[in-house]
Amino acid sequence: MNNYDDDALDRALFALPLEEPPAGLRAAILTSTIYAPAPAFAPWEVAGLGAILALMVWLAINVFSDGGHLFQQSVQTIGFSLGHTLSDFSILWWVALGGATAIWMQFFTGTSSFAPVSRKAQSRPNR
Amino acid sequence: MSAALAEAPRIDPVTAGPADSELVAMTLGGNSEAFSTLVERYDRAVYHLAYRTLHDVEEARDVAQEAFFKAFRSLRTFKPEARFSTWIFAIAYHASCDRLNRRKRYSNEELPDRADPAAGPEGQVLALDEASRLRAAIEALPEKYRTVITLYHLQGKQYEEIAGVLGLPMGTVKTHLFRAKEQLRKMLSAAEVTES
Repeated sequence: MNNYDDDALDRALFALPLEEPPAGLRAAILTSTIYAPAPAFAPWEVAGLGAILALMVWLAINVFSDGGHLFQQSVQTIGFSLGHTLSDFSILWWVALGGATAIWMQFFTGTSSFAPVSRKAQSRPNR
Repeated sequence: MSAALAEAPRIDPVTAGPADSELVAMTLGGNSEAFSTLVERYDRAVYHLAYRTLHDVEEARDVAQEAFFKAFRSLRTFKPEARFSTWIFAIAYHASCDRLNRRKRYSNEELPDRADPAAGPEGQVLALDEASRLRAAIEALPEKYRTVITLYHLQGKQYEEIAGVLGLPMGTVKTHLFRAKEQLRKMLSAAEVTES
């Protein structure tokens, strides 16, 4: 009989060193897993963009389906409204007044957002 | 059997530190470094299993990488009560089997179920040192026995784990292991007799 009884064979098997993996295997694994670049969009973002795109296509089809008549009508309506608004002196006057009031309030009531105090300056310790 | 070979410590991929299940939980919690610890623990063993199954360094490397990639991608499906080692070995083993099947399909290459009879497995194990002789004997085993012996070597006497990796009943695993050891013993003793 030989020296390789069951225990001896077990010991020999457990003592047998594992083959050395090729150099760079671990780095390759880590690169493809935890260090893999994150996808540009999350799945919900892709779904959202897809839905928006589909909606835009649907709108475009509806707008241009009658030879562009609806599109032209929409552009004309928007153009007419803008023209009417800008040519009406009283509307312009109220818009100017509102803007001036807003600027005045920001300058003279202490809630100015033009010169925000930097966080760095706030957190700097007093010497 | 040389004393040095018999007394050499068994390489155990699981070292001190957090348990595998904790590392999985930490990875899922956003700590990606925990996964690198899992890779450190098992990359060698996974590569070893793939290499023993495929006999090809490049393919074994690809399988090891693929196994960890798949594990990382589906880490959420990992059951905390399961063992990570069994899981990653099963992924690697199935990936290796897929490659073997593909090889067979596209090149008509015979699956390595048998050693080349012309070369003579017993002849192959001659004139080698003890560890190399054992390796050569394992290489000469039929594929199903070789895989069982490889997993036995990697995981110890945990038949249940081996059965889990291979998807075989535990009785079959025990039978395969018994026959594999028988064949190994025959080859190694034949080599010794021829040498002396």
